[in-house]
Amino acid sequence: MPSDAHAADLRRRKPIRQQLKPYLFLLPILTFAVGFVYYPFFKTFLYAFSQVNFKGEIVGFAGTDNFSYLFSRRDFKIALENTLRLMLINVPATVALTLGMALLVWKRRHLSAVNETLFSVPIAVSMASAGLVFKVLLNPTVGYFNYALGLNIGWYTDKNTAMYGILMLTVWMGLGFNFLLFLSALRSIPSGILEAATLDGAGPLSRFFRVQLPLIVPTLFYVACTNMVQAMMTSGPVIILTQGTSSLRATTTLIYMMYSSGYSSANYGLAACVSLVTFFLTLTFTVLGFWLEGKRGSYQ
Amino acid sequence: MNAGVKKRTVNAVMSLLALAAGLLVIFPLVYGVMGAFKSEAEFSAYPPTLLPRSFSYTKNFEAVWAMVPVLRFFLNSLIVAVLGTTVRLSFAVLAAYAFVFFEFKGKKALFIFILATMMLPADTMIVTNYQTVARLGLLDNYLGMAIVSFVGASQMFMLRQHFLSSPRSLRDAAQMDGCGDIRFLVSILLPVSRPLLVMLYVQGFVALWNTYLWPLLVTNHNDMRTIQVGITMLTTVEGTNYHQVLAGVAISLVPAFLLFLLLRKSITRGMVSDAEG
Repeated sequence: MPSDAHAADLRRRKPIRQQLKPYLFLLPILTFAVGFVYYPFFKTFLYAFSQVNFKGEIVGFAGTDNFSYLFSRRDFKIALENTLRLMLINVPATVALTLGMALLVWKRRHLSAVNETLFSVPIAVSMASAGLVFKVLLNPTVGYFNYALGLNIGWYTDKNTAMYGILMLTVWMGLGFNFLLFLSALRSIPSGILEAATLDGAGPLSRFFRVQLPLIVPTLFYVACTNMVQAMMTSGPVIILTQGTSSLRATTTLIYMMYSSGYSSANYGLAACVSLVTFFLTLTFTVLGFWLEGKRGSYQ
Repeated sequence: MNAGVKKRTVNAVMSLLALAAGLLVIFPLVYGVMGAFKSEAEFSAYPPTLLPRSFSYTKNFEAVWAMVPVLRFFLNSLIVAVLGTTVRLSFAVLAAYAFVFFEFKGKKALFIFILATMMLPADTMIVTNYQTVARLGLLDNYLGMAIVSFVGASQMFMLRQHFLSSPRSLRDAAQMDGCGDIRFLVSILLPVSRPLLVMLYVQGFVALWNTYLWPLLVTNHNDMRTIQVGITMLTTVEGTNYHQVLAGVAISLVPAFLLFLLLRKSITRGMVSDAEG
Protein backbone atom coordinates (compact mmCIF):
# COMPACT_ATOMS: atom_id res chain seq x y z
CA MET A 1 0.00 0.00 0.00
CA PRO A 2 1.42 3.37 -0.98
CA SER A 3 0.47 5.10 2.29
CA ASP A 4 2.27 2.41 4.29
CA ALA A 5 5.35 2.75 2.15
CA HIS A 6 5.17 6.49 2.65
CA ALA A 7 4.93 6.12 6.44
CA ALA A 8 7.85 3.70 6.50
CA ASP A 9 9.79 6.09 4.32
CA LEU A 10 9.08 8.93 6.74
CA ARG A 11 10.12 6.82 9.68
CA ARG A 12 13.36 5.98 7.98
CA ARG A 13 14.00 9.51 6.80
CA LYS A 14 13.18 11.35 10.00
CA PRO A 15 16.17 10.14 12.01
CA ILE A 16 18.48 11.27 9.20
CA ARG A 17 16.86 14.70 9.21
CA GLN A 18 17.21 14.75 12.98
CA GLN A 19 20.83 13.73 12.65
CA LEU A 20 21.55 16.51 10.17
CA LYS A 21 19.75 19.16 12.17
CA PRO A 22 22.56 20.16 14.55
CA TYR A 23 24.94 20.57 11.61
CA LEU A 24 22.43 22.79 9.86
CA PHE A 25 22.26 24.98 12.98
CA LEU A 26 26.04 25.18 13.01
CA LEU A 27 26.47 25.69 9.28
CA PRO A 28 26.25 29.53 9.21
CA ILE A 29 28.83 30.21 11.93
CA LEU A 30 31.12 27.44 10.64
CA THR A 31 30.99 28.79 7.09
CA PHE A 32 32.16 32.21 8.18
CA ALA A 33 34.65 30.88 10.72
CA VAL A 34 36.28 28.96 7.88
CA GLY A 35 35.94 31.74 5.31
CA PHE A 36 37.01 34.74 7.35
CA VAL A 37 39.14 33.34 10.17
CA TYR A 38 40.77 30.01 9.30
CA TYR A 39 41.11 30.51 5.55
CA PRO A 40 42.85 33.91 5.88
CA PHE A 41 45.06 32.48 8.60
CA PHE A 42 46.26 29.58 6.46
CA LYS A 43 46.56 31.82 3.45
CA THR A 44 48.79 34.12 5.50
CA PHE A 45 50.86 31.08 6.43
CA LEU A 46 51.12 30.05 2.79
CA TYR A 47 52.01 33.57 1.63
CA ALA A 48 54.75 33.87 4.22
CA PHE A 49 56.63 30.96 2.65
CA SER A 50 55.84 31.78 -1.00
CA GLN A 51 56.81 34.21 -3.70
CA VAL A 52 53.70 36.31 -4.19
CA ASN A 53 53.25 38.79 -7.02
CA PHE A 54 51.56 42.17 -6.71
CA LYS A 55 48.20 40.66 -7.70
CA GLY A 56 48.35 38.31 -4.73
CA GLU A 57 49.09 35.21 -6.86
CA ILE A 58 51.58 32.66 -5.60
CA VAL A 59 54.30 32.26 -8.23
CA GLY A 60 56.77 30.04 -6.40
CA PHE A 61 58.08 28.60 -3.19
CA ALA A 62 60.22 31.00 -1.18
CA GLY A 63 61.24 28.92 1.81
CA THR A 64 62.30 31.31 4.53
CA ASP A 65 63.39 34.04 2.11
CA ASN A 66 60.53 36.35 3.06
CA PHE A 67 61.45 36.04 6.72
CA SER A 68 65.16 36.66 6.23
CA TYR A 69 64.29 39.67 4.06
CA LEU A 70 61.93 40.92 6.77
CA PHE A 71 64.43 40.42 9.59
CA SER A 72 67.11 42.24 7.62
CA ARG A 73 64.94 45.32 7.24
CA ARG A 74 65.58 48.21 9.57
CA ASP A 75 61.94 49.34 9.55
CA PHE A 76 60.89 45.92 10.85
CA LYS A 77 63.24 46.21 13.83
CA ILE A 78 61.88 49.68 14.51
CA ALA A 79 58.26 48.50 14.22
CA LEU A 80 58.95 45.54 16.51
CA GLU A 81 60.66 47.73 19.11
CA ASN A 82 57.90 50.33 18.94
CA THR A 83 55.16 47.74 19.35
CA LEU A 84 56.85 46.07 22.32
CA ARG A 85 57.56 49.44 23.94
CA LEU A 86 53.97 50.51 23.44
CA MET A 87 52.70 47.28 24.97
CA LEU A 88 55.17 47.35 27.90
CA ILE A 89 54.10 50.88 28.86
CA ASN A 90 50.42 50.61 27.98
CA VAL A 91 49.66 47.53 30.10
CA PRO A 92 51.08 48.66 33.48
CA ALA A 93 49.85 52.24 32.95
CA THR A 94 46.32 51.05 32.20
CA VAL A 95 46.28 48.61 35.11
CA ALA A 96 47.59 51.19 37.60
CA LEU A 97 45.28 54.00 36.47
CA THR A 98 42.07 52.01 36.18
CA LEU A 99 42.66 50.11 39.43
CA GLY A 100 43.32 53.46 41.12
CA MET A 101 40.09 54.87 39.70
CA ALA A 102 38.14 51.83 40.89
CA LEU A 103 39.65 52.12 44.39
CA LEU A 104 38.54 55.75 44.55
CA VAL A 105 34.88 54.96 43.98
CA TRP A 106 34.20 51.33 44.87
CA LYS A 107 32.84 52.28 48.28
CA ARG A 108 29.46 53.92 47.74
CA ARG A 109 29.57 57.54 48.85
CA HIS A 110 28.08 60.84 47.80
CA LEU A 111 28.76 61.54 44.11
CA SER A 112 29.55 57.84 43.53
CA ALA A 113 27.10 57.54 40.65
CA VAL A 114 28.41 60.73 39.04
CA ASN A 115 32.03 59.69 39.39
CA GLU A 116 31.37 56.21 38.03
CA THR A 117 29.70 57.70 34.98
CA LEU A 118 32.56 60.14 34.40
CA PHE A 119 35.12 57.34 34.66
CA SER A 120 33.27 55.10 32.23
CA VAL A 121 32.72 57.77 29.55
CA PRO A 122 35.64 56.64 27.32
CA ILE A 123 33.77 53.42 26.43
CA ALA A 124 31.29 55.52 24.46
CA VAL A 125 33.96 57.22 22.37
CA SER A 126 35.41 55.76 19.20
CA MET A 127 39.14 55.70 18.60
CA ALA A 128 38.68 57.96 15.57
CA SER A 129 36.86 60.68 17.53
CA ALA A 130 39.23 60.52 20.49
CA GLY A 131 42.25 60.46 18.19
CA LEU A 132 41.20 63.66 16.46
CA VAL A 133 40.54 65.41 19.77
CA PHE A 134 43.98 64.39 21.08
CA LYS A 135 45.55 65.60 17.85
CA VAL A 136 44.16 69.08 18.52
CA LEU A 137 44.58 69.00 22.30
CA LEU A 138 48.26 68.08 22.03
CA ASN A 139 48.98 70.36 19.08
CA PRO A 140 51.92 72.63 20.06
CA THR A 141 50.46 75.85 18.63
CA VAL A 142 46.69 75.70 19.13
CA GLY A 143 46.31 72.92 21.70
CA TYR A 144 45.57 73.44 25.37
CA PHE A 145 47.72 70.67 26.82
CA ASN A 146 51.16 72.27 26.41
CA TYR A 147 49.81 75.63 27.52
CA ALA A 148 48.22 74.23 30.69
CA LEU A 149 51.36 72.37 31.69
CA GLY A 150 53.80 75.02 30.51
CA LEU A 151 55.41 72.63 28.02
CA ASN A 152 56.72 73.18 24.54
CA ILE A 153 56.50 69.77 22.89
CA GLY A 154 55.41 68.89 19.38
CA TRP A 155 53.78 65.70 20.60
CA TYR A 156 52.95 64.10 17.28
CA THR A 157 55.61 65.78 15.16
CA ASP A 158 58.68 65.25 17.35
CA LYS A 159 60.00 61.71 16.87
CA ASN A 160 61.10 61.52 20.50
CA THR A 161 57.65 62.18 21.92
CA ALA A 162 55.30 60.84 19.24
CA MET A 163 55.11 57.42 20.85
CA TYR A 164 54.09 58.97 24.18
CA GLY A 165 51.46 61.00 22.39
CA ILE A 166 50.06 57.77 20.94
CA LEU A 167 50.24 56.09 24.34
CA MET A 168 48.20 58.90 25.90
CA LEU A 169 45.44 58.13 23.41
CA THR A 170 45.56 54.33 23.76
CA VAL A 171 45.63 54.47 27.56
CA TRP A 172 42.76 56.96 27.62
CA MET A 173 40.73 54.73 25.28
CA GLY A 174 40.99 51.81 27.73
CA LEU A 175 40.16 53.77 30.90
CA GLY A 176 36.39 53.25 30.93
CA PHE A 177 36.25 49.56 30.12
CA ASN A 178 38.99 48.43 32.49
CA PHE A 179 37.77 50.70 35.27
CA LEU A 180 34.39 48.96 35.10
CA LEU A 181 36.03 45.55 35.32
CA PHE A 182 38.01 46.49 38.43
CA LEU A 183 35.00 48.22 39.96
CA SER A 184 32.82 45.13 39.70
CA ALA A 185 35.65 42.92 40.97
CA LEU A 186 36.15 45.12 44.05
CA ARG A 187 32.42 45.29 44.72
CA SER A 188 32.00 41.54 44.50
CA ILE A 189 34.29 41.03 47.52
CA PRO A 190 32.01 40.17 50.45
CA SER A 191 31.98 43.12 52.86
CA GLY A 192 32.33 40.72 55.81
CA ILE A 193 35.90 39.86 54.84
CA LEU A 194 36.92 43.51 54.81
CA GLU A 195 35.14 44.23 58.10
CA ALA A 196 36.91 41.29 59.73
CA ALA A 197 40.27 42.64 58.52
CA THR A 198 39.42 46.09 59.90
CA LEU A 199 38.48 44.59 63.28
CA ASP A 200 41.86 42.83 63.28
CA GLY A 201 43.42 46.26 63.05
CA ALA A 202 44.32 46.27 59.35
CA GLY A 203 44.65 49.78 57.89
CA PRO A 204 43.54 50.70 54.35
CA LEU A 205 46.94 49.79 52.87
CA SER A 206 47.25 46.37 54.39
CA ARG A 207 43.57 45.71 53.66
CA PHE A 208 44.30 46.44 50.00
CA PHE A 209 47.44 44.31 49.74
CA ARG A 210 46.31 41.42 51.91
CA VAL A 211 42.60 41.17 51.17
CA GLN A 212 41.47 43.06 48.07
CA LEU A 213 44.44 42.57 45.76
CA PRO A 214 44.67 38.78 46.14
CA LEU A 215 40.94 38.49 45.50
CA ILE A 216 40.96 40.57 42.30
CA VAL A 217 44.01 38.90 40.75
CA PRO A 218 41.86 37.08 38.14
CA THR A 219 40.49 40.45 36.96
CA LEU A 220 43.97 41.95 37.04
CA PHE A 221 45.18 39.09 34.88
CA TYR A 222 42.24 39.50 32.48
CA VAL A 223 42.83 43.27 32.15
CA ALA A 224 46.56 42.81 31.58
CA CYS A 225 45.97 40.08 29.00
CA THR A 226 43.31 41.86 26.94
CA ASN A 227 45.29 45.10 26.99
CA MET A 228 48.40 43.26 25.92
CA VAL A 229 46.61 41.83 22.87
CA GLN A 230 45.07 45.22 22.07
CA ALA A 231 48.41 47.00 22.37
CA MET A 232 50.07 44.45 20.09
CA MET A 233 47.35 45.20 17.49
CA THR A 234 47.74 48.99 17.60
CA SER A 235 47.47 50.57 14.16
CA GLY A 236 44.51 52.96 14.02
CA PRO A 237 46.10 55.66 16.22
CA VAL A 238 49.20 55.59 13.99
CA ILE A 239 47.09 56.11 10.87
CA ILE A 240 45.16 58.98 12.45
CA LEU A 241 47.91 60.71 14.41
CA THR A 242 51.29 60.27 12.74
CA GLN A 243 50.73 58.93 9.23
CA GLY A 244 52.21 61.41 6.78
CA THR A 245 54.35 63.15 9.38
CA SER A 246 58.09 62.92 9.97
CA SER A 247 57.47 61.01 13.19
CA LEU A 248 55.71 58.10 11.44
CA ARG A 249 58.90 56.04 11.60
CA ALA A 250 59.16 56.54 15.35
CA THR A 251 55.62 55.24 15.83
CA THR A 252 55.32 52.50 13.19
CA THR A 253 53.82 49.38 14.72
CA LEU A 254 53.84 45.82 13.41
CA ILE A 255 50.20 45.89 12.32
CA TYR A 256 50.72 49.29 10.71
CA MET A 257 53.70 47.86 8.83
CA MET A 258 51.60 44.88 7.74
CA TYR A 259 48.83 47.20 6.60
CA SER A 260 51.12 49.49 4.66
CA SER A 261 53.23 46.76 3.04
CA GLY A 262 50.24 44.60 2.16
CA TYR A 263 47.58 47.14 1.35
CA SER A 264 49.53 50.12 0.03
CA SER A 265 52.63 48.45 -1.45
CA ALA A 266 51.08 45.09 -2.46
CA ASN A 267 54.03 43.22 -0.97
CA TYR A 268 51.90 40.33 0.22
CA GLY A 269 54.72 37.97 1.19
CA LEU A 270 56.24 40.56 3.48
CA ALA A 271 52.86 41.53 4.96
CA ALA A 272 52.13 37.87 5.71
CA CYS A 273 55.45 37.49 7.55
CA VAL A 274 54.75 40.55 9.70
CA SER A 275 51.27 39.21 10.41
CA LEU A 276 52.63 35.83 11.52
CA VAL A 277 55.35 37.36 13.69
CA THR A 278 52.74 39.54 15.42
CA PHE A 279 50.41 36.60 15.85
CA PHE A 280 53.04 34.31 17.38
CA LEU A 281 54.42 37.04 19.66
CA THR A 282 50.91 37.74 20.95
CA LEU A 283 50.21 34.04 21.38
CA THR A 284 53.48 33.57 23.29
CA PHE A 285 52.66 36.43 25.66
CA THR A 286 49.16 35.05 26.21
CA VAL A 287 50.42 31.55 26.95
CA LEU A 288 53.09 33.00 29.24
CA GLY A 289 50.38 34.94 31.05
CA PHE A 290 48.22 31.84 31.49
CA TRP A 291 51.24 29.91 32.73
CA LEU A 292 52.03 32.59 35.32
CA GLU A 293 48.40 32.70 36.40
CA GLY A 294 48.32 28.91 36.72
CA LYS A 295 51.53 28.89 38.73
CA ARG A 296 50.17 31.47 41.13
CA GLY A 297 47.03 29.38 41.54
CA SER A 298 48.96 26.22 42.44
CA TYR A 299 50.88 27.98 45.20
CA GLN A 300 47.77 29.04 47.04
CA MET B 1 39.34 63.29 66.82
CA ASN B 2 35.85 61.85 66.83
CA ALA B 3 35.74 58.65 64.74
CA GLY B 4 32.50 59.69 63.02
CA VAL B 5 33.91 63.05 61.99
CA LYS B 6 37.08 61.44 60.74
CA LYS B 7 35.12 58.96 58.64
CA ARG B 8 32.99 61.70 57.17
CA THR B 9 36.07 63.75 56.32
CA VAL B 10 37.71 60.78 54.61
CA ASN B 11 34.54 60.15 52.62
CA ALA B 12 34.28 63.75 51.52
CA VAL B 13 37.94 63.90 50.51
CA MET B 14 37.67 60.66 48.54
CA SER B 15 34.52 61.86 46.78
CA LEU B 16 36.10 65.14 45.76
CA LEU B 17 39.31 63.43 44.70
CA ALA B 18 37.29 61.05 42.54
CA LEU B 19 35.33 63.95 41.08
CA ALA B 20 38.56 65.75 40.17
CA ALA B 21 39.91 62.57 38.56
CA GLY B 22 36.62 62.07 36.73
CA LEU B 23 36.71 65.59 35.33
CA LEU B 24 40.27 64.96 34.20
CA VAL B 25 39.12 61.82 32.37
CA ILE B 26 36.40 63.62 30.44
CA PHE B 27 38.49 66.76 29.93
CA PRO B 28 39.65 65.89 26.37
CA LEU B 29 36.05 65.43 25.28
CA VAL B 30 34.82 68.63 26.90
CA TYR B 31 37.73 70.47 25.31
CA GLY B 32 36.90 68.96 21.93
CA VAL B 33 33.23 69.87 22.05
CA MET B 34 34.02 73.42 23.25
CA GLY B 35 36.47 73.79 20.37
CA ALA B 36 33.72 72.99 17.91
CA PHE B 37 32.13 76.36 18.78
CA LYS B 38 35.29 78.42 18.28
CA SER B 39 36.06 80.56 15.26
CA GLU B 40 39.38 80.27 13.45
CA ALA B 41 40.57 83.48 15.10
CA GLU B 42 39.72 82.17 18.55
CA PHE B 43 41.60 79.02 17.76
CA SER B 44 44.81 80.71 16.70
CA ALA B 45 44.74 83.20 19.61
CA TYR B 46 47.36 82.83 22.34
CA PRO B 47 46.94 81.89 25.12
CA PRO B 48 44.51 79.18 24.00
CA THR B 49 41.11 79.31 25.66
CA LEU B 50 38.93 76.57 27.04
CA LEU B 51 35.48 78.04 26.55
CA PRO B 52 34.31 79.48 23.26
CA ARG B 53 33.24 83.12 23.17
CA SER B 54 29.74 82.09 22.20
CA PHE B 55 27.85 78.83 21.80
CA SER B 56 25.75 80.33 19.03
CA TYR B 57 28.72 80.24 16.66
CA THR B 58 27.69 77.37 14.40
CA LYS B 59 29.74 78.13 11.29
CA ASN B 60 31.97 75.08 11.90
CA PHE B 61 29.02 72.73 11.91
CA GLU B 62 27.65 74.35 8.77
CA ALA B 63 31.05 73.98 7.10
CA VAL B 64 31.31 70.31 8.00
CA TRP B 65 27.74 69.76 6.83
CA ALA B 66 28.61 71.35 3.49
CA MET B 67 31.96 69.58 3.12
CA VAL B 68 30.98 65.95 3.76
CA PRO B 69 27.70 64.00 3.62
CA VAL B 70 27.32 63.65 7.40
CA LEU B 71 23.87 62.07 7.33
CA ARG B 72 25.00 59.56 4.73
CA PHE B 73 27.97 58.65 7.00
CA PHE B 74 25.60 58.07 9.91
CA LEU B 75 23.29 55.97 7.75
CA ASN B 76 26.23 53.85 6.54
CA SER B 77 27.46 53.27 10.09
CA LEU B 78 23.96 52.39 11.21
CA ILE B 79 23.42 49.88 8.38
CA VAL B 80 26.79 48.19 8.89
CA ALA B 81 26.42 48.01 12.68
CA VAL B 82 22.86 46.65 12.51
CA LEU B 83 23.69 44.15 9.77
CA GLY B 84 26.86 42.91 11.47
CA THR B 85 25.37 42.68 14.95
CA THR B 86 22.12 41.03 13.84
CA VAL B 87 23.78 38.38 11.70
CA ARG B 88 26.48 37.67 14.28
CA LEU B 89 23.96 37.26 17.08
CA SER B 90 21.65 35.07 14.97
CA PHE B 91 24.51 32.74 14.01
CA ALA B 92 25.66 32.62 17.63
CA VAL B 93 22.14 31.77 18.84
CA LEU B 94 21.78 28.92 16.33
CA ALA B 95 25.19 27.47 17.23
CA ALA B 96 24.60 27.79 20.98
CA TYR B 97 21.23 26.05 20.58
CA ALA B 98 22.83 23.15 18.73
CA PHE B 99 25.51 22.72 21.37
CA VAL B 100 22.99 22.69 24.21
CA PHE B 101 19.99 20.78 22.85
CA PHE B 102 21.45 18.27 20.38
CA GLU B 103 23.74 15.28 20.70
CA PHE B 104 25.84 14.69 17.61
CA LYS B 105 29.16 13.41 16.32
CA GLY B 106 32.03 15.87 16.60
CA LYS B 107 30.19 18.13 19.06
CA LYS B 108 33.22 18.82 21.23
CA ALA B 109 35.60 19.27 18.30
CA LEU B 110 33.28 21.72 16.55
CA PHE B 111 32.78 23.65 19.77
CA ILE B 112 36.53 24.06 20.18
CA PHE B 113 36.87 24.84 16.47
CA ILE B 114 34.54 27.82 16.88
CA LEU B 115 35.95 28.97 20.23
CA ALA B 116 39.50 28.87 18.85
CA THR B 117 38.64 31.68 16.43
CA MET B 118 39.07 33.96 19.45
CA MET B 119 42.78 33.14 19.45
CA LEU B 120 43.24 34.47 15.92
CA PRO B 121 43.12 38.28 16.12
CA ALA B 122 41.16 39.79 13.23
CA ASP B 123 43.68 42.61 12.83
CA THR B 124 46.43 40.21 11.76
CA MET B 125 44.26 38.98 8.88
CA ILE B 126 42.95 42.19 7.37
CA VAL B 127 45.17 41.98 4.31
CA THR B 128 44.02 38.47 3.33
CA ASN B 129 40.41 39.22 4.24
CA TYR B 130 40.62 42.32 2.08
CA GLN B 131 41.60 40.11 -0.86
CA THR B 132 38.65 37.78 -0.22
CA VAL B 133 36.19 40.63 0.01
CA ALA B 134 37.63 42.25 -3.12
CA ARG B 135 37.35 38.95 -5.04
CA LEU B 136 33.72 38.60 -3.94
CA GLY B 137 33.10 42.04 -5.41
CA LEU B 138 32.12 43.42 -2.00
CA LEU B 139 34.29 46.55 -1.87
CA ASP B 140 32.25 49.70 -1.22
CA ASN B 141 29.44 47.44 -0.10
CA TYR B 142 27.64 47.13 3.24
CA LEU B 143 27.93 43.35 3.24
CA GLY B 144 31.69 43.61 2.67
CA MET B 145 32.02 45.97 5.63
CA ALA B 146 30.03 43.73 7.97
CA ILE B 147 31.03 40.27 6.73
CA VAL B 148 34.20 39.92 8.82
CA SER B 149 32.22 40.34 12.04
CA PHE B 150 29.74 37.51 11.49
CA VAL B 151 31.61 35.04 13.71
CA GLY B 152 30.91 35.75 17.39
CA ALA B 153 32.59 33.00 19.35
CA SER B 154 32.36 34.74 22.72
CA GLN B 155 28.67 35.55 22.11
CA MET B 156 28.11 31.90 21.22
CA PHE B 157 29.86 30.87 24.43
CA MET B 158 27.82 33.18 26.65
CA LEU B 159 24.54 32.14 25.02
CA ARG B 160 25.47 28.50 25.48
CA GLN B 161 26.11 29.05 29.19
CA HIS B 162 22.77 30.79 29.44
CA PHE B 163 20.84 28.10 27.53
CA LEU B 164 22.48 25.42 29.70
CA SER B 165 21.00 27.06 32.77
CA SER B 166 17.49 27.12 31.33
CA PRO B 167 15.37 24.20 32.55
CA ARG B 168 15.62 21.12 30.29
CA SER B 169 12.00 20.28 31.05
CA LEU B 170 10.99 23.41 29.13
CA ARG B 171 12.11 21.88 25.85
CA ASP B 172 10.76 18.43 26.68
CA ALA B 173 7.35 19.88 27.42
CA ALA B 174 7.45 21.93 24.23
CA GLN B 175 8.37 18.85 22.20
CA MET B 176 5.53 16.86 23.77
CA ASP B 177 3.19 19.53 22.52
CA GLY B 178 4.61 19.07 19.03
CA CYS B 179 6.62 22.24 19.10
CA GLY B 180 9.61 22.06 16.72
CA ASP B 181 13.09 23.32 17.45
CA ILE B 182 12.78 26.59 15.57
CA ARG B 183 9.43 27.40 17.12
CA PHE B 184 10.69 26.52 20.58
CA LEU B 185 13.77 28.70 20.00
CA VAL B 186 11.89 31.69 18.65
CA SER B 187 8.77 31.71 20.80
CA ILE B 188 10.04 30.34 24.11
CA LEU B 189 13.81 30.32 24.54
CA LEU B 190 14.64 33.73 23.02
CA PRO B 191 11.95 35.68 24.91
CA VAL B 192 13.22 34.09 28.14
CA SER B 193 16.79 35.16 27.29
CA ARG B 194 15.89 38.74 26.44
CA PRO B 195 18.16 40.54 28.93
CA LEU B 196 21.26 38.69 27.71
CA LEU B 197 20.30 39.21 24.06
CA VAL B 198 19.77 42.95 24.55
CA MET B 199 23.11 43.26 26.32
CA LEU B 200 24.97 41.33 23.61
CA TYR B 201 23.26 43.38 20.92
CA VAL B 202 24.10 46.74 22.44
CA GLN B 203 27.67 45.71 23.12
CA GLY B 204 28.16 44.41 19.59
CA PHE B 205 26.49 47.44 18.07
CA VAL B 206 28.75 49.91 19.91
CA ALA B 207 31.86 47.92 18.97
CA LEU B 208 30.93 47.80 15.29
CA TRP B 209 29.81 51.43 15.24
CA ASN B 210 33.24 52.45 16.53
CA THR B 211 35.32 50.31 14.15
CA TYR B 212 37.84 52.22 12.10
CA LEU B 213 40.45 50.17 10.24
CA TRP B 214 38.30 47.66 8.36
CA PRO B 215 35.72 50.12 6.97
CA LEU B 216 38.65 52.36 5.99
CA LEU B 217 40.18 49.53 3.96
CA VAL B 218 37.12 48.27 2.13
CA THR B 219 35.61 51.59 1.09
CA ASN B 220 36.90 54.00 -1.53
CA HIS B 221 33.76 55.80 -2.48
CA ASN B 222 33.02 58.85 -0.37
CA ASP B 223 29.34 57.94 -0.10
CA MET B 224 30.16 54.58 1.45
CA ARG B 225 32.34 55.86 4.31
CA THR B 226 31.20 55.28 7.87
CA ILE B 227 31.10 58.19 10.31
CA GLN B 228 34.39 57.11 11.95
CA VAL B 229 36.26 57.09 8.65
CA GLY B 230 34.38 60.14 7.42
CA ILE B 231 35.41 62.47 10.23
CA THR B 232 39.09 61.58 9.86
CA MET B 233 38.82 62.68 6.24
CA LEU B 234 38.18 66.21 7.48
CA THR B 235 41.87 66.42 8.40
CA THR B 236 43.01 65.81 4.85
CA VAL B 237 40.53 68.01 3.02
CA GLU B 238 42.59 71.13 2.15
CA GLY B 239 44.90 71.10 5.15
CA THR B 240 43.67 70.83 8.70
CA ASN B 241 41.07 73.20 10.06
CA TYR B 242 41.02 72.15 13.68
CA HIS B 243 37.84 74.00 14.56
CA GLN B 244 36.01 72.19 11.75
CA VAL B 245 37.53 68.81 12.63
CA LEU B 246 36.25 69.26 16.18
CA ALA B 247 32.79 70.13 14.88
CA GLY B 248 32.87 66.83 12.98
CA VAL B 249 33.96 65.01 16.12
CA ALA B 250 31.20 66.66 18.16
CA ILE B 251 28.59 65.55 15.61
CA SER B 252 30.01 62.01 15.56
CA LEU B 253 29.80 61.76 19.35
CA VAL B 254 26.07 62.44 19.58
CA PRO B 255 24.57 59.02 18.74
CA ALA B 256 27.15 57.02 20.72
CA PHE B 257 26.58 59.24 23.73
CA LEU B 258 22.82 59.00 23.58
CA LEU B 259 23.15 55.24 23.43
CA PHE B 260 25.62 55.31 26.32
CA LEU B 261 23.34 57.35 28.54
CA LEU B 262 20.22 55.38 27.62
CA LEU B 263 21.74 51.94 27.92
CA ARG B 264 24.60 52.47 30.34
CA LYS B 265 23.37 49.69 32.59
CA SER B 266 23.16 47.04 29.89
CA ILE B 267 26.49 48.05 28.34
CA THR B 268 28.36 47.90 31.62
CA ARG B 269 26.63 44.72 32.75
CA GLY B 270 27.72 43.15 29.49
CA MET B 271 31.33 44.08 29.95
CA VAL B 272 31.41 42.75 33.43
CA SER B 273 29.86 39.38 32.73
CA ASP B 274 32.04 39.12 29.62
CA ALA B 275 35.08 39.22 31.86
CA GLU B 276 33.68 36.69 34.24
CA GLY B 277 32.38 34.33 31.51
